[in-house]
Amino acid sequence: MVDATKNTVITTTWGTTNARPVQPAVVAKVIKKAKRPLLITGGDVLDEDILKRAVEIGKKGIQIAATGNSMTGFVDEESVFAKYINAHSLALYLSDSGWKGLDGHGNYDLIVALGHKKYYINQVLSGVRNFTKLKSISIERNYIQNATMSFGKLNKETHLKALDELIDNL
Amino acid sequence: MSQIKTGKFSIDELENVQITIGSVVGALEQEMDSEELDIGPSPCPGIKDLRNWDFNLLSRYEPVYTPVCDQCCYCTFGKCDLSKNKEGACGIDMSSHQAREFLLRVITGAAAHSAHGRHLLHYLIEKYGPDHPIDVGASNLKTPIIQLVTGMKPETIGDLQKALEYVEEQLTQLLATIQVGQEGAALDFESKALHGGMIDHVGMEVSDVAQISCLGMPKAEENTGYAELGMGCIDSEKPMVLTIGHNVSAVTHIMDYIGDHGLEDEVELGGLCCTSIDMSRYKSEGAHDSKSKVIGPIAKELKFIRSGVPDVIVVDEQCVRADVLREAKELHMPVIATNEKIMYGLRDRSDDDVEDIVSDLVSGKEPGALLLDFDKVGEVATRVAMEVAPIRSENNMTALPSDDEFNELINSCVHCQLCENTCPTNLPISDAFRLAEEGDMSGLVDLHDPCVGCGKCETVCPKDIPILNTIEKSSQQAIREEKGKIRVGRGQISDPEIREEGVNLVLGTTPGIVAMVGCSNYAEGTQDIYKIADEMLQRNYIVVVSGCAAMDLGMYKNKDGETLYEKYPGKFTKGNLLNVGSCVSNSHIASTAIKVAAIFAQRKISGNYEEVADYIMNRIGATGLAWGAYSQKASAIASGCNRLGIPVIVGPHGSKYRRALIGRPYAEDKWNVYDARNGDVIPIASVPEFLLTTAGTVEEVMPMIAKNCIRPSDNNMGRMIKLTHYIELSKKYLGVLPEDWHNFVRSEQDLPLAKRDELLNILEKEHGWEIDWDKKKIISGPSMKFDVSVQPTNLERLCKGQEV
Repeated sequence: MVDATKNTVITTTWGTTNARPVQPAVVAKVIKKAKRPLLITGGDVLDEDILKRAVEIGKKGIQIAATGNSMTGFVDEESVFAKYINAHSLALYLSDSGWKGLDGHGNYDLIVALGHKKYYINQVLSGVRNFTKLKSISIERNYIQNATMSFGKLNKETHLKALDELIDNL
Repeated sequence: MSQIKTGKFSIDELENVQITIGSVVGALEQEMDSEELDIGPSPCPGIKDLRNWDFNLLSRYEPVYTPVCDQCCYCTFGKCDLSKNKEGACGIDMSSHQAREFLLRVITGAAAHSAHGRHLLHYLIEKYGPDHPIDVGASNLKTPIIQLVTGMKPETIGDLQKALEYVEEQLTQLLATIQVGQEGAALDFESKALHGGMIDHVGMEVSDVAQISCLGMPKAEENTGYAELGMGCIDSEKPMVLTIGHNVSAVTHIMDYIGDHGLEDEVELGGLCCTSIDMSRYKSEGAHDSKSKVIGPIAKELKFIRSGVPDVIVVDEQCVRADVLREAKELHMPVIATNEKIMYGLRDRSDDDVEDIVSDLVSGKEPGALLLDFDKVGEVATRVAMEVAPIRSENNMTALPSDDEFNELINSCVHCQLCENTCPTNLPISDAFRLAEEGDMSGLVDLHDPCVGCGKCETVCPKDIPILNTIEKSSQQAIREEKGKIRVGRGQISDPEIREEGVNLVLGTTPGIVAMVGCSNYAEGTQDIYKIADEMLQRNYIVVVSGCAAMDLGMYKNKDGETLYEKYPGKFTKGNLLNVGSCVSNSHIASTAIKVAAIFAQRKISGNYEEVADYIMNRIGATGLAWGAYSQKASAIASGCNRLGIPVIVGPHGSKYRRALIGRPYAEDKWNVYDARNGDVIPIASVPEFLLTTAGTVEEVMPMIAKNCIRPSDNNMGRMIKLTHYIELSKKYLGVLPEDWHNFVRSEQDLPLAKRDELLNILEKEHGWEIDWDKKKIISGPSMKFDVSVQPTNLERLCKGQEV
């Protein structure tokens, strides 16, 4: 078992709350419990090792909101539901109960972030945290304070192992 | 009774008597009442006067808040935790506080530009007199923004003071609303932020028009000269004067001193940030190449100082690091402060003898001097550089480590990753050090360009490694190769250019204007800007640049060894690349859209803000891109564009501005306009989709630009061209046909010619549209129809039959 909660060093704070460090198995449990989870990927997901794992998560039936240019990684993956969307627009739509979602079937009850620039996803999740009741989980290499739960700051090897463990438990 | 005018008068009967009348009370108002200027409904608008227009915009483009801090610490009731949109002790909630925070950024930026303008005006009026005429080149509409906002039509630099007085009053009123116990509604703070943005553009225009008129800068020239660009273009063997900041007034005296004393070949003069851009414009009128060099934006400040190359540093205002004096002192690099805004605690030597000042600086008795007498600045800076250079050279004054020191530093890293956690860009510093330990410097070299040069990594390193210095040490070859070219800033777009191009812009046959502005806080590095500009230029967009973006895209060359400035001409027409100038020259970008409304569409300009903004939003396909925005000034510039209906995209760091203005394309009731011919409400496509938003990557931003240049007024040819680029860019950079492309189709003639059959097929199969395949016509499906004479407007009062 990987310890994905190490090194949750905080250099600056947004406020009184910070993401709860979380282990991969717990993330898997929370995702499984959610009715409409959404994986939000950023441009850094295009790293070959990370992309492979994002596709695996997608294959488990979780929709993918492909932000940045991450959509290019899912174009040929027919068994994965992925659509391009701008991350900032998504933050607005997630706060709107009237949004029909990427598939036209309604909004989401859990978001999971992977492959983003640390400072960018932190800002997007700051909006989500303050203006919606949505839960968010970061499975990034970095500790993302504005998520509800997050992995710690991991080296690449540990990160990949953590993602594998998450996928195995999904 | 004869009219009293401003100016100097002599009385014949009295010898040696001259009366100077600086300003006549009510003269401007009288002029505005005259028949010559047909004034619209909102000259010199106060905070409330354009509120309806703002609310119109804000009803479609909703504020999206992404707080940087959940707390408010404005007053002694607090601090208050506002997270989850809670109210604080004063009753303000998170939304309103974030809107207030955004407003504060905007007016801070606006104040920086306007105070710059005020300082320049003081200086130029004293030197050239208030009656010095405004001359910006081939333009009857010399000050489009001032005229649009205030209704004034200044003719002399003295007249600009009235416009600036208006700006200063508005800024004071806006600043007052930040105080605790004032505004409580987020939406009204947003309206105020848009007001602040508009005011910012007036301040910028005052600044640039004044300096263009007086300092021999190019006046709406298509083919200006070039300036050498980059850290590698500096001859480190010569004494070097480094200037940093945005206000060129003091620096012109250094340039004159060097010129007057024939020292051009003896002394190297280069600058960082917008001062360097304006140095390159100084006396460059008539396609002359620049006499000074442009080193780069703020990201290069610490790097260049620590290289040890400069011998003296002259600072003025804005974008100057707070630690310049501390850093320079370490390297016996005297600092001359020339502006009250940055004085670094230095002794005021303005009234001292030049010999004494030079002596104290060369000997190191004092680390620098505050010098507000610009003639002395010219002489002191040049002489100190020449005298201190051999001393510094002899002592090898550089912060960069020797080879032995470098190896020791590399091996002392414990890979705690605190540097990476602290780095604003989260660069992989630890991995780069690990590679360096094995003798591979490529990781460190790769950090040189994306590193913003803030030095924060060093402040947290438990081993006190000067991390930036190790990056720069290993990147010496790359730095030597940093040699580019920048086209000297041209100022305004001329009236003849607008006459020629206006129709193409409004009908869409020129696919759009991309205004690339802002600083160097990029997502991946300076090449981002080059890539975007090159792609859009190849597609015939007009690319207009300014400030640091103008510098950074000149750093790169294609396989033929050309920079984009050498590859693409500089006229205001499709497929051209225009550098308007420095930060305050951004006003010329917004003023171009105003000129299209005035010259091409014959819209009344003076005091007619709402109507002109409405025209721009519905007809002119322009998108701003501040990819590396970092300062408050960028938020002010963006807000000024937004109030004019021009959308702006910022890079991922721009999310830290705390708020975006984004529309919801799926909310159909938001995407309607009036047809001014009859007042009918007609649906439009959801563009511009936002007024201010972020993009995550360069690849994402390109189709975003193309899409958000689409406008309701596009004719079939224009829409076809724009849609072609949107579809192609989406396929090229995101790998897919855009989800929403069909929303922009009004008839089969809007479809890209080469893909018409393929797209008609998709429309039929995936969207249920009815197609007549014999005629290849769309029978039913589009939510809107194309009508060549439709007059889209968001303002009901402009519709026929409505009271105006």
